[in-house]
Amino acid sequence: MSGMDKNPRRGQGGQNKADGLGSNSEIGRKLKQYYDELVTEQVPDRFADLLRQLDTKESGSKKE
Amino acid sequence: MAGHDATFKDDLIKAIPSLRAFAISLSQRNDRADDLVQETLVKAWDKQASFQMGTNLKAWLFTILRNEFYSQMRKRGREVQDSDGVITAGVAIHPGQQGAIDLKDFRKALETLPEDQREAIILIGASGFSYEEAAEICGVAVGTIKSRVSRARTRLQEILGIDGEGDFGPDAISSQVLGSVAVV
Repeated sequence: MSGMDKNPRRGQGGQNKADGLGSNSEIGRKLKQYYDELVTEQVPDRFADLLRQLDTKESGSKKE
Repeated sequence: MAGHDATFKDDLIKAIPSLRAFAISLSQRNDRADDLVQETLVKAWDKQASFQMGTNLKAWLFTILRNEFYSQMRKRGREVQDSDGVITAGVAIHPGQQGAIDLKDFRKALETLPEDQREAIILIGASGFSYEEAAEICGVAVGTIKSRVSRARTRLQEILGIDGEGDFGPDAISSQVLGSVAVV
């Protein structure tokens, strides 16, 4: 995942303290647990197939 | 002449898990979420030229996905929920013994939030965006995001019967009190 965000998790510590979603908060912890479970789900193959198709289509058509 | 370089494609692939997580959080349905991700990837691919290198690709993709979600909702004739100024009916979920909240209860509570609050608290509390980035993604002011996050958090606390920061669940009495507050 790294390299995707220019500012990964910027200021998160301070930010979350202010909004009550830090690791001291039950809501904050549950929110991350909920989300992490979704992020780590297996990604369906259809997306890789789709990108491959888009790639092939483009190099085939040479529209530029 | 600049076609789609491999880096862009790789970055899209890397972003898919977070895009899916956000899509599921928004739509609450896996099948619809996957369609949203697919649409987002196609749109991103077509619009690559309009993406400015060096800016935040993840935020850009989240913006596309979010717009797609709301435009699909409108097409389905569903009113987009706007919780500003609206008091939504509370649904109290009683956490299990010792105030331990399991993920199922949390998910249920999250589902009861209006979309604008749910997306705000997800973007800030889970996806790792700053308030500025979340404001840009949602097309609203930073202050609006802050107030949505704060209302979302308060409502989740009410529904789940927990108060404030740093606590590990309520005792029996405060649980009852908060429970009755939540059904008002």
